[in-house]
Amino acid sequence: MFNTIGDVKTALSAQRYIPSDEIATTVFLAEKLGKPILAEGPAGVGKTELAKVWAAATGRELIRLQCYEGLDETKALYEWEYAKQLLYTQLLRDKLNDLLAGVTSLAEAADRLAAEEDVFFSSRFMLPRPLLKAITSERPVTLLIDEIDRADAEFEAFLLEVLSDFQVSVPELGTIRARHQPMVLLTSNNTRELSEALKRRCLYLHIDYPTAEQELQIVNLKVPGLPPKLAQQAVELVQRLRGMDLKKHPSVSETIDWARALLELNIRHLDRATIENTLNVLLKFEGDLQRARRAMVRDEGTRRDEFGRLRRDDESGRFRGN
Amino acid sequence: MDQRIVDFIHALRAKGVRISVAESIDAMRCVEIAGVADKQFFRSALRASLVKEPRDLPTFDELFPRFFGLDTPPPLQQPGGGMSPEEREKLAQMLQQMLASLSPEQLRRLFEMMMTGQGMSGSQMRQFIDEHTTATQMTTGFQPWATRRAMRELQFDRLEQLLQELLQKLREAGVSEAALRQLEQEARENREALAQQIGREVGNGLQQREAEERRRRPVEDLQDRPFEELKYQDDDDMRAVINRLAAQLRTRVALRQKRANKGALDAKSTIRANLRYSGVPLDIRHRRKHLKPRITVICDVSGSMRAVTGFMLMLVYALQDQISRTRPFVYYRTIADVQADFQQLRPEEAIRVVPERVQGGPWQTSLGSCLETFTRDHLDAVDRRTTVIFLGDGDDHMSPPNPRAFETIKRRAHRVVWFNPEPPYRWGREDNHMHIYAPMCDAVHHVSNLRQLVAAVDGLFS
Repeated sequence: MFNTIGDVKTALSAQRYIPSDEIATTVFLAEKLGKPILAEGPAGVGKTELAKVWAAATGRELIRLQCYEGLDETKALYEWEYAKQLLYTQLLRDKLNDLLAGVTSLAEAADRLAAEEDVFFSSRFMLPRPLLKAITSERPVTLLIDEIDRADAEFEAFLLEVLSDFQVSVPELGTIRARHQPMVLLTSNNTRELSEALKRRCLYLHIDYPTAEQELQIVNLKVPGLPPKLAQQAVELVQRLRGMDLKKHPSVSETIDWARALLELNIRHLDRATIENTLNVLLKFEGDLQRARRAMVRDEGTRRDEFGRLRRDDESGRFRGN
Repeated sequence: MDQRIVDFIHALRAKGVRISVAESIDAMRCVEIAGVADKQFFRSALRASLVKEPRDLPTFDELFPRFFGLDTPPPLQQPGGGMSPEEREKLAQMLQQMLASLSPEQLRRLFEMMMTGQGMSGSQMRQFIDEHTTATQMTTGFQPWATRRAMRELQFDRLEQLLQELLQKLREAGVSEAALRQLEQEARENREALAQQIGREVGNGLQQREAEERRRRPVEDLQDRPFEELKYQDDDDMRAVINRLAAQLRTRVALRQKRANKGALDAKSTIRANLRYSGVPLDIRHRRKHLKPRITVICDVSGSMRAVTGFMLMLVYALQDQISRTRPFVYYRTIADVQADFQQLRPEEAIRVVPERVQGGPWQTSLGSCLETFTRDHLDAVDRRTTVIFLGDGDDHMSPPNPRAFETIKRRAHRVVWFNPEPPYRWGREDNHMHIYAPMCDAVHHVSNLRQLVAAVDGLFS
């Protein structure tokens, strides 16, 4: 598929995603080695997006498994459709009577029924969940296992088995082997430590907030209509906010949302009133909003800035002192 | 190159990064695929396959340039570039003469390398240093001293004198002054390069030896030793013990959670589960309660308590996957939220720095006023799902007991538990206020060794 790391970069860029060298190398290695990638980093830096563009760039279908506390095999792998089985039994009652006609003993009846067992435990009555779908798919797929840190430790252990051999065993059907080995991307927001066994099997990719230039590139790419100067100012402000002591820092996706909002509002110049009115797109906690506003007001008092931008040094200094 | 990568992996391990054999094989394959031509890609390939924890990234970034970066010592060059063939002939002759009569052996080798430009590979140099010096028997923290010792034992400073001798001889043999000056310059550059290489290999040797020693040391069973004796244990031993205990505890907790039939009947799930018995409810399903506790730990970090606090916090952090949220606080004369430290550092490192977050000295524990501060500033760390754990001896040298603040915390919390390493007969004596707080707790555990601590933590999950 890809011959060099440069190919990966071009292919991902063609999908309107700006990959760092780190990301391109890891994707390239994953393709070559067939190993899963474990992507960690703060929320909203484009981990899930990476899976989407990876799938699109390679022309594979994307299958997504969203993890949550209490997720188990029946939700992730497969489940028997009992209702359908019952329904079929009811509908086929006549047929069953025919089958059992002329039977003299109970044992003989049981034997005849047992011979037909395969009908009821076949893939016809099986409800494939994302993992099984990814394994049995006719075409190569990309499997996204999102927020694995939210699932329980037991599920993680179960996942290990699937990820190391790409096969699952269903007691009634036997072992199902993957036709094409799926490319796997696991994401984690690092809310808890993942097991070492899982990490050992994966290539590790740490995606952090982008630098100012990278973020500007992203904004220019995703919100093409935004005037260059405004984009520059917006990115600068976001970078400053990330330097402050906040409960939740604005993510890349929020920067993009904000840039879109500025474009929709047809704003040409970033002044204090505009920032105050639209800051809630970036900051989602009341405390954070107030803190940012206070920093702006203080800034106005000490030194009038050309567009009332925040000065991160005295803000963070103040809170460290507490 | 392979050898260099293996050395690099050893150095990472010595710094405490956990790398398995499988991962080092992966690293080799990744490098094979990504190639070594582009350094950025090479670096990313190693990083993706070796480092799996964000907090180990700085270690990687620090070590990488030392192994593959610009500050690898420059290669030796052959001196005598500006000489005519006859002059070069003379140089070789003179050098042979000098080398033949030169002792000790290690100095002879060094001088030869300096004057011919034929150096050693990293591992050869390390062996050379091991054979001729005692430098690698020191510990890593003393690397500059170790390097100096190696230089001294190799008699490195005599190289200058030997060089002058050689130059003198060549001068007498009629070699032009310009050629000699160039020779001197080149020889000096070689000497600089050798010095750098020695310094680096001494460092590598030290790290490797430490890593090996760490591997060889058996892990003692420390469970029944009192905490005071454990205070001076090595970080790695502590981590090994804690990890083992945590693994035991985790299995126990997971099993118990699986078998527990708690909570209300889950009608939907029961119907679904019993379809296979054509609707006869044989298998009753219950709604799972919130089984993962949220924990707020408030730890005493006065001198006598530090060891047990360290173990407690390490145990809590080793069990992160069984806990939905942890908020650590430490107190002495003042109280501080130390969550940020635990997010940025490894638990064992965080434990070393957290006592600096609070003020206090001997006989300055001020539990009462710390409780007051906590109820004023940090009550958001306590809600109805939170189990609050106090870990302390209950001593208070500065302020009166503060049952009112304690009551405020208790009212908000799901449970309040106290772990106390002091024996119960001491509670309430002198400055100890344990007798006031104890009746207000949901449970009080006396923990004086690891076994008791593990049992007490186990109690949190039931």
